[in-house]
Amino acid sequence: MSLRTERTWLANGWRLLHFGFLTYLWIGFDDAENTFILLLLLFLLTSLRWRFELPAVFLLPDILICVLYFPYTSVSYYALALPIFEWAQRGRWPFSLSVFVALGFVPFFSGWLLWYFVLALFVGFFLDRYARNLEQWKKEADEQRKARQELERVKAELLEAQRSVSKQAELTERYRIARQLHDHLGHDLTGASLALQAHAYAEDPEEAKSLLQEVKSRLERSTHSLRETVHDATPVAPIGIENLERALLHFQEIDVSLRKSGDLLSVAAYQWSLLEACLKEALTNIVRHSDATAAEVTVQVAGAIVRLLVQDDGTPRENNAQSESGSGLRSLNMRARALGGSLSTSADNGFLLVCVLPLEQEG
Amino acid sequence: MTIFYFTLKRSFANLANLIFLTAAPIACIFLPAGEGWPPLAYGYAYFGIVILFVAIRLAQIMMEDRVKGILKRLSVAPVRYFSYLGQHLLAYAVILILQSAVVVLGGWIAGQELHRPWALFALYVSFSFAALAMALAWISVFRSKDAAFLFYMSLIVLAALLGGIILPLEIFPDLLRRIAVILPTFWFAEGLKSIASAQPFADNVRINATLCLYALVFLVLGSTRRMQ
Repeated sequence: MSLRTERTWLANGWRLLHFGFLTYLWIGFDDAENTFILLLLLFLLTSLRWRFELPAVFLLPDILICVLYFPYTSVSYYALALPIFEWAQRGRWPFSLSVFVALGFVPFFSGWLLWYFVLALFVGFFLDRYARNLEQWKKEADEQRKARQELERVKAELLEAQRSVSKQAELTERYRIARQLHDHLGHDLTGASLALQAHAYAEDPEEAKSLLQEVKSRLERSTHSLRETVHDATPVAPIGIENLERALLHFQEIDVSLRKSGDLLSVAAYQWSLLEACLKEALTNIVRHSDATAAEVTVQVAGAIVRLLVQDDGTPRENNAQSESGSGLRSLNMRARALGGSLSTSADNGFLLVCVLPLEQEG
Repeated sequence: MTIFYFTLKRSFANLANLIFLTAAPIACIFLPAGEGWPPLAYGYAYFGIVILFVAIRLAQIMMEDRVKGILKRLSVAPVRYFSYLGQHLLAYAVILILQSAVVVLGGWIAGQELHRPWALFALYVSFSFAALAMALAWISVFRSKDAAFLFYMSLIVLAALLGGIILPLEIFPDLLRRIAVILPTFWFAEGLKSIASAQPFADNVRINATLCLYALVFLVLGSTRRMQ
């Protein structure tokens, strides 16, 4: 049952209770047939309010009918509790107070009547507060939902941007290496080749010696240039599988072994960053939630996918780890999905984390 | 008015309805008068029960529409729900008014003691409206046509008994007599008594107005749109 329906049920419940009470008063203390017509009239007006959204001013007929019945039956005084309730539950409780004030000027007045009015006012006030809180809660829930969706959208965009930047960096680096090879190594090697061809036709021994010296110096320069290019292209910080190895090296809590297979160079840098995050999250989870003493990490590149498996030797748990996965795993799962892969966990036989990512096709 | 004409045709479509709508009112005309009670001939008191049965039989047609999904299909047609409801109720009201006219006119021709035939006719019409609205409200609660009819039959018998149509109210304990006022059948029986005892015209108006109030209350409650 929704909260709004629940509120309507509460209001209708009170209305029915009120009519039940009036009927009890009528049967027990009055018994005039005409009083029943009063109840029927009030019930008709209440039904109209239940069926259609009528403004608060439509409570005036209720009051008018009750006032007309004042000389004939005391039930009509108690019937005034209904407008009090309706005003209060619409947030117009100050109007209800006017009925209390009018009580002092009517011939029939009893403590029970006052208490009944107070009760009606309280129930109406409670329902009004309940409705307002409900609206507030719904508004906040909507805002949170909207913010979460916005956050997820930004996150997906960031992941896409990371992927794009990684590709751009790779292309730029390729271009730099190609330019360097062309500008330095290429010229020297071409010069050395021409010098060698000239040497074949040289008749003067001095000239031939000079040409050989030229070839030698150009080859030395080329070797130096090549060494510099390779040195510049080699990253200072570890990347790829080395980064994972380094993470395992610094992890001392339990024994962890690493197995790797396949062409690891085909895995892109942005994929390695996700695999590294998965590995760190898995190891943290093992330390925090598992009683494992050892774990095995496997990185496999097979066909068009790269797969990371982290399996510990902890005690199996009854409930699946996926169902109780924290925000870390949820976030990683989302990142994996954003890269076209998947991440799943299981606690059936120790903790197991599997992350699968598709490799980029060459070309 | 297509729905109105179609509803009229559907109301007479099956045999049970045809018997209810034609034979039952005619049979009421020829039932004998009691000694002292009921105030009019038996048939004129029992016609109230017939009206209640006829009302639920007719209202069941609308329930059938709801159960078979016709109402759902209608919601995509250019027909407003209030138009659908209004034309159905109008058709049923016409049938019930005609029945009342047949009973009163037939009784007058057959020489029954009707005291004030016009007042009797007005009472039947008011009670027909109340019965129709009650049936409408009743079927809006149920999902099964048969369950609605069976429960309503029991309710009719109980209401007729407590309201003073089948037995005089005077034989009931005081508390039951007080509770009986809540039932529309009580006001119907009161109306018959008022006509037979030549009460002032205002008394008849009061009773008819009460029955119309019942009709309004149940119409408001029963006019909610339900698809299933």
